[in-house]
Amino acid sequence: MTYSSDNENDTLASERGDDEAGYRSYEVFQRERVGAPPPVKPGQMRTQDYLDDPYSLLAKLRAYGPAWRDWPGNCFWVTHYNDVTSVLTDSANFAVRSKRWHYHLTDFGRDLRNQVPVLTAQAKGIDDNARPAAEELLGAIAKNGAADLVADFAAPYPLVVLGRTIGIPDADLPQFADRYLRMQRGWRWHPTNQDAGKRAMRELVDYFTPLLDSRRAQPQDDWLSAVATLEIDGPPTNARDVVATLLEGDHETLHGALANMWMLLLTHPEQLESVRGERRLVKYAYLETVRHSTPVISADRFARREVERFGLLIPEGALVICSAGAANRDEHIFNDPDDFIVGRKDLVQREPRGQYRADGLPSGITPALGTPSKYPALPVGRPRSLYAIARDTATTASQTLLEMLPKIKLASGASPTMKCKAWGEMHACWQLPVTF
Amino acid sequence: MSLTENLKRVVGQAFEIDAERASTEQVEFPLMPLGTPCDMGHDDNGVPLIDPRIFGSREFQRNPYPYYHIMQDHYPVFHDKLNNSYFVTRYADINDAYFDGLGFNTIPKGSSNHVLGNTQLELSGIEHSRRRNLYGRHLVGSALTKRFGAICKMANDMIDAWFDPASGMSEFEPSTGKYVIELGRAFANEFPIRVVCQVLGFPDEAQDRFFYWYKNMMGGIGGRDFEQKGLMARQDLEDFVGEIVEQRRTSPQYLLDDNGNQVAPDIISELCQTVIDGDYLSTEEITSNIALIVGGGGETTRGAILNMWYLLLQHPDQMAAVLADDALWDAAFHETLRHSSSIGGQPRHNTFDIEMHGIKIPAGSLMHMVDWAANHDPRVFTDPEKFDIFRNDLYTEKIVRAGYRKEGKCNHMAFGVGPHLCPGAWISHQEASIGSNIMSKRVKNVRIVEERMPKDIDGVSLAPIGLGAINELWLEFEKA
Repeated sequence: MTYSSDNENDTLASERGDDEAGYRSYEVFQRERVGAPPPVKPGQMRTQDYLDDPYSLLAKLRAYGPAWRDWPGNCFWVTHYNDVTSVLTDSANFAVRSKRWHYHLTDFGRDLRNQVPVLTAQAKGIDDNARPAAEELLGAIAKNGAADLVADFAAPYPLVVLGRTIGIPDADLPQFADRYLRMQRGWRWHPTNQDAGKRAMRELVDYFTPLLDSRRAQPQDDWLSAVATLEIDGPPTNARDVVATLLEGDHETLHGALANMWMLLLTHPEQLESVRGERRLVKYAYLETVRHSTPVISADRFARREVERFGLLIPEGALVICSAGAANRDEHIFNDPDDFIVGRKDLVQREPRGQYRADGLPSGITPALGTPSKYPALPVGRPRSLYAIARDTATTASQTLLEMLPKIKLASGASPTMKCKAWGEMHACWQLPVTF
Repeated sequence: MSLTENLKRVVGQAFEIDAERASTEQVEFPLMPLGTPCDMGHDDNGVPLIDPRIFGSREFQRNPYPYYHIMQDHYPVFHDKLNNSYFVTRYADINDAYFDGLGFNTIPKGSSNHVLGNTQLELSGIEHSRRRNLYGRHLVGSALTKRFGAICKMANDMIDAWFDPASGMSEFEPSTGKYVIELGRAFANEFPIRVVCQVLGFPDEAQDRFFYWYKNMMGGIGGRDFEQKGLMARQDLEDFVGEIVEQRRTSPQYLLDDNGNQVAPDIISELCQTVIDGDYLSTEEITSNIALIVGGGGETTRGAILNMWYLLLQHPDQMAAVLADDALWDAAFHETLRHSSSIGGQPRHNTFDIEMHGIKIPAGSLMHMVDWAANHDPRVFTDPEKFDIFRNDLYTEKIVRAGYRKEGKCNHMAFGVGPHLCPGAWISHQEASIGSNIMSKRVKNVRIVEERMPKDIDGVSLAPIGLGAINELWLEFEKA
């Protein structure tokens, strides 16, 4: 569950001056009649059943109807492809709430993710570091002959790329990664994690304060310098802005998609053979992975006003959980949705944002990168979208892997699986023993 | 170690989650001595953390107040992100919210109306007061006084059965002359149902189904596992009431006194004759109102009677004082509801974006007003966990909708306050204190049969009431 870069979504109704918010005196009444009981138990979508095997529960919900209300969780689940895309794109009716809101830190820093110089520095940093970082991590394990591809590659890789893009010295990288990951985990419901996350944010502010000053005095060719020299309304950028921007951003898609993609390829040897034979298929393998097993499996939206959708009255403020996992397996949209087919013909291969139907085809939804960009796929004066950057980075990393470890195969006897480690966190493969 | 090794180690650790932290399901919290919270961690300033899973735990059920005190002191608005809701626990905040019908509305978010129907529970403003007044006036004042005799007679009839061996209500030991009853089965379960049936004008055979209705409908509220049963019970009630309504539309029915004089029409007949906006109420509207009375009229009063006797009998000096002075039953009733009420609170939704105690709450959020916590707020009631019918900070006079916060006394929150004050408050008070008063005259030397009662974790002392009402109460007594 991740949040868009669209700042206007974060504001509360009173700040928007929304005169539609107010007391409604007319009555609306819906009483459910006795019918077939719902296919899942109230609250079941947050239990271990879901964490271990979300797709079988999601299939039941999809068959039940377009939306299901979970009373104990005080939320609505939306599961059909067209409904999920319609909610994700409907920023007029459904708002994103930032991670800072979840932390109760709405006044903490400024989110700079939409500032063009920052975006440009980010795109350049990621593109420059994608291949060297992969070579370095893979080089460290290449001689071993065996490795855990997740622990040794998919998990650390995004953090190396992120750290070098920001401009963090290598010596500080492990410490930064520790704080960054604590911060990213802490905004969810668990009180101990939240406390650890808040402490990590304070430590990151202390860490970035001198670093930002030195970049302001002596700009370098990195993201932090772009933030330090950014011209922006209000006071000059400070370390809290840096931390807020990092918090609202995300690393999960790259990590989870790499892990899931390689698990799917290694457990589908015929698909891996086709990718080995034709390197351009690596990109399609990534796209199909994001459809088949998106790491960020659902996204939260909150109703800005009372809306009638899916045959239900959704009250103002209601939490709507848009299940990308369910939508990506919608049998009305994709043929054989549970099969992993690289290069499938019913999946758009161009700008797969879920929301756009370029070529008349649907695409895999991955909500991690937020609401759709209003810019074209190759915008003028801006870098390409973060979705495209993540796709290209995963593709580069995987192609490097194929070059450096050409004989890679699953360790004998291994049967890797995917799971969510905690409610709300990504659905990914966590252990992938390989030999090469 | 090289950079990559170091980084891998850090990342690996960050993604390791022990199972306890991962699961949203119920985890075992240790059972603590009463009044002591279990340790859920502390932040840098030493403030205790609250794990939202505690709310569903056995520990919280039996020992909730130390956790409520942590929330009152450190999280007056506690954001439960696991269940997407907020808890408000201070008396003053809840009081303000209950009176602010505009800022904190009850409009249908569906938590109860999918089972009960279109009741005033989930209406606000003029719609609310119009519907509520339709039948609320039959449950207060002179309308209630008229039914007083009939309520007393019902209580006496039920108590007669205790001393009749054929009824099977009691166990009699001739050598000691002692009777043993389970107060719930012998009295408290049935008595409120009989009163409500009489007020509604239900035929006698409805009493058997009544228990089924209210048990399942109240269980079905909030969409728990029992929702389906709740919907089925509601349908059954609707079928049953539908026929009665058709009859009463043409021939109203009256409660008769001993001489056969009409005392008052029953509520169904009254509702059948009621004109609103130039039109008679529909059968659906009448059924919904009745569903609300059925749902609210049983369990709550039962719990009040059981809890009151349980608490009084554990405080023999107070029991003796009440037995010596009938007027003290009112104080005992109100102190029982303050100390341990059946109903824990009411949900509200904030109409506007608000900020409470530094927490920004977007419009439409679900906010639980925790009456249980308000009743134990040490800012209002000194030594709140102590059961004391003589406490001088609790208002025990006539129940008023405006609440009472004067001269160092406050009303308890078990009935709520303001526009949504429980419309059954007065009749519930009558049932519990009159019923108990009558009972106290018919028995003597009452004691709790401790061998048959559940025990606390030490295995010796009686189990605390915790949240809600006790399930059963075994009493031993002699005939007075």
